[in-house]
Amino acid sequence: MDDSKTLNLNVRKDFPILSKKILEKKDLIYFDTAASAQKPNTVIDETNDFYKNHYSNVSRGVHTLSVESTFRYEDARKKVQKFLNARSENEIIFTKSATEGINLVAQTFYEKFMQKGDEVILSLIEHHSNLIPWFFLRDKYGVVLKFANIQPSGEIDIDHFNSLFTNKTKIVSLTHLSNVFGTELNEKAISICKNKNIPILLDGCQSAAHLKIDVQKLGCDFFVFSGHKTYGPAGIGVLYGTENLLSEMPPYQGGGGMIGDVSLEGASYAELPAKYEAGTPPLVEAHGLGIAIDYMNKIGLDNIIEHENEITKYAFNKLNEIDFIEIHGGDNKRNSIISFNIKNVHSHEVSSFLDVEGIAIRAGHHCCQPLMKHLGVNSTARLSFGVYNSLEEVDKFVIALHKCKEFFNK
Amino acid sequence: MNDLINDLYQEIILDHGREPRNFGECEPHNKSADGHNPLCGDNLKLTFLLNDQNIIEDIKFTGEGCAISLASASLMTEKLKGKKIEVAEEIFKDFTNLVSGSDEDLKVLNEEDSLYALKGVGGFPMRVKCATMAWHAFNQALKD
Repeated sequence: MDDSKTLNLNVRKDFPILSKKILEKKDLIYFDTAASAQKPNTVIDETNDFYKNHYSNVSRGVHTLSVESTFRYEDARKKVQKFLNARSENEIIFTKSATEGINLVAQTFYEKFMQKGDEVILSLIEHHSNLIPWFFLRDKYGVVLKFANIQPSGEIDIDHFNSLFTNKTKIVSLTHLSNVFGTELNEKAISICKNKNIPILLDGCQSAAHLKIDVQKLGCDFFVFSGHKTYGPAGIGVLYGTENLLSEMPPYQGGGGMIGDVSLEGASYAELPAKYEAGTPPLVEAHGLGIAIDYMNKIGLDNIIEHENEITKYAFNKLNEIDFIEIHGGDNKRNSIISFNIKNVHSHEVSSFLDVEGIAIRAGHHCCQPLMKHLGVNSTARLSFGVYNSLEEVDKFVIALHKCKEFFNK
Repeated sequence: MNDLINDLYQEIILDHGREPRNFGECEPHNKSADGHNPLCGDNLKLTFLLNDQNIIEDIKFTGEGCAISLASASLMTEKLKGKKIEVAEEIFKDFTNLVSGSDEDLKVLNEEDSLYALKGVGGFPMRVKCATMAWHAFNQALKD
């Protein structure tokens, strides 16, 4: 390892869990940020502080605590708006997860704009969370789903994607950054949608903490991400939607907080964003997400991206040198994620073996079973990086991989 | 090498994982079930022939999975072949207790059994499902 090249963000100390010893003696090397990121002290402390000193329900009372809670909840919305560069806070809907955001769009977009026989374009590399909500439309309402092929590089086949559009195409939904390959969506896919005037939803679960997001520049109509993958709490997600579309689509769930006026004969609905936030929201989690965004901004997203790119490239080159490793998704650029297999060793074995070495990686189908089928594998092992990882950890990981291979092929 | 890993991957497990016994489909068969681990995608198909004395005459499986799930299925077929269904059910209960680290006393399995090699799975709670996939398929087939 060449230390002179190491961009050290010096943030490991911010994450208390990273001082935990695995099996009482091994330093934790956390390479599973794509599944969920660890939390910095500021997020942990600030959410605690919320419960200890400011907690009440939001937007419902007039007393001091209600004001303090509401202020924190709405302040988080402002932070998210800036983080995504949305035009207005009305375009930021808090959900419980990115998954809920996609379900919300699928259901309400269908209700307003679609009918039986209309078409949705997805791709082969989508996470189950960007498949099943659309499967529901197919099963319940006879919507037709089309799937863009992928190239060996792990990118969507743009020509094939382009050929899927018909006059019945109503919406497109694609991952912004593949949770298996770490490859970024070709921006041509978005411009094709723009040219054809078809709304596009981007699943930003993996991109939000690893790319600079500007929804206006991207030109997407919807963007979802989750708090827990961006160093914030689980239980909070974000749906960005253009004000036009969100205004036209009907409410998703009914309940308190999303109403204008209610009589026994009927109800009118609240303005954006409250229209889509029925029930008491995950207010502390929203605040935690805001703090996580502050944390990322303090380090600087450019620094984070540079740091992760360097580690990803370093790890890719190291893995690429090893003859018993098969890397999925060709040689193209990856952002913070690498999927691989040790030849003739199931990813479960790799993950369990590395676990006792203190190294946490993900093994399995990564909620992408159609993609696994396409790749002709049952599962893969996945490395994913965050702000706290280092080149030194990659070196330790590579040594452990060699030990693993030796153990299972003895 | 770490003891936990050596406990998990005893030689017999690696052997059966690499070369599962009774791999294939049982013909004829009158019982079958699919095993599936939705968390990782591992799957298997279990088929067996139960004769009129309620004895498992033949039992086989196909599928894909990790060393633990394949070895467990392989060792299961070896253990259950020729057993009366009542005995097989007792073995199922014992095995489930064995790999889930339950304190319950084993009734029919003991340390001499090859299945005992899977006890190390108890040290890896997330792998218990790998070890029990074939067994749940067996249990399911009996109910169907």
